[in-house]
Amino acid sequence: MTPDISPLALFVASIFTSNILLANFLGMCSFISISKDLSSSNGLGLAVTVVLTITSAINWLVLHYVLIPLDLVYLRFIVFIIVIAAVVQILEMIIDRISPSLYMALGIFLPLITVNCAILGVALFIEIRGYSLLQSVVYGLGSGLGWWLAIMLLAAIRKKIERAPVPAGLKGPGITLITIGFMAMAFIGFSGMVAVQ
Amino acid sequence: MSALVIAPLAVGGITAALALLIWLTDRVVNNYGTVTISINGGKKTLTVKGGSPLLLTLAQEQIFIPSACGGRGSCGACKVRVETDIGPHLPTEVPYLTEEERARNVRLSCQVKVKHDLSIEVPEELFLVRRVVAEVSSIRDLTHDIKEVRFRLPEGERIPFKPGQYVQLEVPPYAKIKEPTQRAYSISSLPDEEEIELLIRKVPGGIATTYVHEHMKEGERLALIGPFGDFYLRETDAVMLCVAGGSGMAPFKSILLDMYRRGVNNRQVWFFFGARTRRDLFYVDLWRDLEEKWPVFRFVPALSEDPDYEGEKGLITEVLARYIETTMDREAPKEGYLCGSPGMLDACMNVMRRYGIPEDKIYFDKFA
Amino acid sequence: MAATPRRILAENTWTNNPIFIQILGICSTLAVTNNLTNTLIMTLGVTFVTGFSSLTVSLLKTLIPHRVRMITQTLIISFYVIIVDILLKAYLPEIHKSLGPYVGLIITNCIIMGRAEAFAQSNPPLLSLWDGLTSGLGYMWVLMLIALIRELLGFGTLFNIRVLPEGFEPWTIMVMAPSAFFILAMVLWAAKTLMNKEAA
Repeated sequence: MTPDISPLALFVASIFTSNILLANFLGMCSFISISKDLSSSNGLGLAVTVVLTITSAINWLVLHYVLIPLDLVYLRFIVFIIVIAAVVQILEMIIDRISPSLYMALGIFLPLITVNCAILGVALFIEIRGYSLLQSVVYGLGSGLGWWLAIMLLAAIRKKIERAPVPAGLKGPGITLITIGFMAMAFIGFSGMVAVQ
Repeated sequence: MSALVIAPLAVGGITAALALLIWLTDRVVNNYGTVTISINGGKKTLTVKGGSPLLLTLAQEQIFIPSACGGRGSCGACKVRVETDIGPHLPTEVPYLTEEERARNVRLSCQVKVKHDLSIEVPEELFLVRRVVAEVSSIRDLTHDIKEVRFRLPEGERIPFKPGQYVQLEVPPYAKIKEPTQRAYSISSLPDEEEIELLIRKVPGGIATTYVHEHMKEGERLALIGPFGDFYLRETDAVMLCVAGGSGMAPFKSILLDMYRRGVNNRQVWFFFGARTRRDLFYVDLWRDLEEKWPVFRFVPALSEDPDYEGEKGLITEVLARYIETTMDREAPKEGYLCGSPGMLDACMNVMRRYGIPEDKIYFDKFA
Repeated sequence: MAATPRRILAENTWTNNPIFIQILGICSTLAVTNNLTNTLIMTLGVTFVTGFSSLTVSLLKTLIPHRVRMITQTLIISFYVIIVDILLKAYLPEIHKSLGPYVGLIITNCIIMGRAEAFAQSNPPLLSLWDGLTSGLGYMWVLMLIALIRELLGFGTLFNIRVLPEGFEPWTIMVMAPSAFFILAMVLWAAKTLMNKEAA
């Protein structure tokens, strides 16, 4: 059941070749709206990485120790979403306690993350591909870093082309999508190194 | 055990476990124990439970920092100087603070949480602020869009205001509005009366004014919080030029009737009131009667859109300039008192500055 | 501005199409747009879930406490997605397999929650159902158009049936992820230009 792939290869692949956003289109909504601003992109990227790493571990445990033994795998959507919502809420409280400045950098984005498809998507990929616990955590962390990298790059590029003359109908989202398309092509260039389906 | 039972139990169990975890985290993480807040160098010390925003914590201790938005961080009124270091200014505070305020550690009290012992500085007069639940005793139409509302204070409870100051009226949730709303209204009654009177103009789409005009009934009980504001009489012998529009008449009703009652006769008092048409004029008899009884006082209403009015015609700024030019002593020191819409205020201030009234002698209350 | 069924249809499929206005909800479906069959099944699923979630939210709107509204809506949406998932697994196992995790991702499709929040919260049940279904339709035609271009040029087929001659050289890029972004941008460009013309 468990695919034979070394955690390191999986880690690299999830950042570059199988980038959760550029290859699987996950987490697009907030990706396009938040990437207008560099510092917000950084905060959201970090928050997504943290939440992905934690939820992929917890969801793996819930899947393998509750749902599979009870033969309730068809309920995975509801259960994963509840876990994600709870983790986000707990994280919000902890960050608020530890550091107000971190809370301001991250905390305001946390409510957005519950409905970020990348988080649920990673949980579902883990279930479908049958990763082990270690593979799941590595895949979650790598996907988060890949998402973070993608949004930082996009925010930087958008800053650069802010004043470029663009046809009226392509202004805003249109040209952003074309930019993402080129980024996706560049990331596919890594597939000679390592690929995960 | 059929799947019919197992499925809800499993989902319920997982949800309950997570809810318990959230509750535990809340207990452990958000438990700041008791903290002490020292106010104005130890003049007052509060012992409170930590974890809530400063604004809320102080309100529970009967210290009411002014706030128009009720703690949502959208008005910037609830500024407090925090002497203890509580970390950098938050992005939600920065838009409301000047460079100089940030350097002095001024914070928005609705945004910062009380997590450990604090020492803060608040204006002394805030200690006088009370929250009183009062009963609506009468509602009267003054014009097509201004109502006079009177509130009866409970036995033995008073709001110790100076004439010219304002209270926050707390409107309960109604229709689609899910939260209580607080809005500021100048007091038009005299201090030490048993009733507080407000003049409330209907603002189209306004949450609080719509409630007052369309939902509020006599006999209802609402909270009044006050006094606030630095718009009050300065005791000098300079000529007083008062200018108001619409419900901006409210503070002057309190200030001028109080002066007459105390027998202030050492200064000239002019009251210019600007309106569009005759249907926007109110309390005219009251002011004419006061002119009879109080020799130093003159009331000058002016209408801007009523060509066959027998009194003063034109914009209030033009009328004000004309009177300063023609009927007043150019050399006598003057003070300006203004209350009304921002547009009218700015225009009148320009006129007053043009005629040599110094900036620091123009007192105003802007109805934003 | 009364909400008539006809106006709702026009707004949700054209002037206020969620994809054009805010590029909402493309996460869950864009990935399968290199194949018309998969796209059709996915968008039908989204339309079904949006319609019935809106209907349910509208029916329960007076019962749901304000504080737990979001999570309740999420659970209602999850319930319908699970139904779609079970139906697909039973009747179209092949397609279910090729869609992979994307059926489950309908839950996080912003359009569904967006319509529940913006419309179903404050409108009667049947109108909300209609609003949800038409939003799904507006979503469907845009993604079907993208899938048509990608499958035709990427495989030379439509609904897996060969239409282009054997000699046709397939465009490999059309099968891969970047083309989805490009084609979506082009569709957006065309739609916006037409809308600007209409407005002028």
